[in-house]
Amino acid sequence: MNKVITINLGGNAYQLEEGGYDALRAYLETATARLQGNPDRDEILSDIEGAIAEKFRTRLASHKTVVETKEVVAVLAEMGPIEAEPGEATHAGAAPAGISGGTTGQEAKGEEQSAGTGRTPKRLYRIQEGAMIAGVCNGIAAYVNIDPTLVRLAFVLLTLLWGSGLVVYVVMAIVVPEARSPEEKAAASGFPATAQEYIRRAKAGYYEAMKGFPDRKARREWRRRFKRDMRAHADQWRYNWHCYWTEHAPVYPGMGFMLPVLSILHGAAMVFWICALISLLATGALFGLILPAKVPVWIAALLLLIAYGILVGPLKVARRLCYRSLGRPRWTWSFVFLLDAIVWLAVVATLLWLAVHFFPEMRAAVQSIPALAHQAADDIRTWWNSR
Amino acid sequence: MSVNEKFSAIRKGLLEFLVLQIIAAEKVYAADILKQLSTTEFATQEGTLYPLLSRLRREGLLDYEWKESEAGPPRKYYELTAKGKEQLRETLEYWSQINGTVKKLGQK
Repeated sequence: MNKVITINLGGNAYQLEEGGYDALRAYLETATARLQGNPDRDEILSDIEGAIAEKFRTRLASHKTVVETKEVVAVLAEMGPIEAEPGEATHAGAAPAGISGGTTGQEAKGEEQSAGTGRTPKRLYRIQEGAMIAGVCNGIAAYVNIDPTLVRLAFVLLTLLWGSGLVVYVVMAIVVPEARSPEEKAAASGFPATAQEYIRRAKAGYYEAMKGFPDRKARREWRRRFKRDMRAHADQWRYNWHCYWTEHAPVYPGMGFMLPVLSILHGAAMVFWICALISLLATGALFGLILPAKVPVWIAALLLLIAYGILVGPLKVARRLCYRSLGRPRWTWSFVFLLDAIVWLAVVATLLWLAVHFFPEMRAAVQSIPALAHQAADDIRTWWNSR
Repeated sequence: MSVNEKFSAIRKGLLEFLVLQIIAAEKVYAADILKQLSTTEFATQEGTLYPLLSRLRREGLLDYEWKESEAGPPRKYYELTAKGKEQLRETLEYWSQINGTVKKLGQK
């Protein structure tokens, strides 16, 4: 079941599936941009809308009233990218038309594809940037858009509990390709490589689009989609920001030796966070620090998570810098990754073991986790019902 | 680089004159032009044809009139102006010269 959007093409109403509507809008917006400076722009656009409408008509019948997304995509592929006429664009200079025409045509095709689909198609890749071993967990995290640490924890748990995580990891490290080119890296997370899409949407305007929706339901849908897109872009920019620092910060030759220290700090921070969380859930207080009344436990846990993220961010960047200071030969990287991962795992395991062994509270807490989980679920349910 | 790729710039340049020739034969609308081109090396798409037609019209080589169609809204039917016919004649002449040169050169 898909949502349907009604549009007006050349004076007739057509019903398109939502995905098809998005594709059509992107196509027409690209066309408008490309015909910038053409005196007949509006006329060409209306001709093109008319041609699209005619193609839609051949795909409709009395018992089939909606144009499906794949049909819209097929029609747009038949239409082909709008090619600006040489010598008509305002910036057309003295460059020989044949050569410049050829190259812009190719660029145009690339642009058209990314604009037509809205975002880059997703594929599972291994991602080496910020990887621990082979980048499998990193790739999975990017694919499903969650924190890589969670995926790593899942793998560690799988290994410790059933021993299967390691096998799966090794198989995936061999089978899943590594993202090397910028296009592949973009495909790994499904975000377009450039901020082009973001700019396009910002230009279209949130409130401008808001006005176009007649009923509340459509408006709510638009708001939801807008927020989701913005969130995706925020993620992408945060990632770019990380990369920026790793590429531009100064690097000193001896920094590689700092790596184990940083790994230990990272692991310790994580163990501390886990202990804090357990203590919070078990006693309702943070290491004996009683929460202010009215603050539910789950909000405290959320704050704890945010604090952890803030604390660990610089650590992650520092670790990436260390990797970079190791220099060119890539095979040393894999070795260091492995060593670093082992140090990290060892620290986490040792600290956890110590905590459970020496603090009876921790042991009790670990044993009571299942009961606590039930309790937490019940709490959330009652809170939800009481709203 | 295949021959096909090498000639893409030339095909692009020639498309304009082929469109003029198609329109010279009879009054046609855009989909007819595409259909006639579709079986040739010059197969092209709306995205290329519409901007081209609009430029030719602005240069005064062709004109159009609206005609009712049996199914759907009226369509634009294109026809050549006197200037367009004159240009087409010159082009055909020039083309046959080029053709002759290509055949003649290198034959002793």
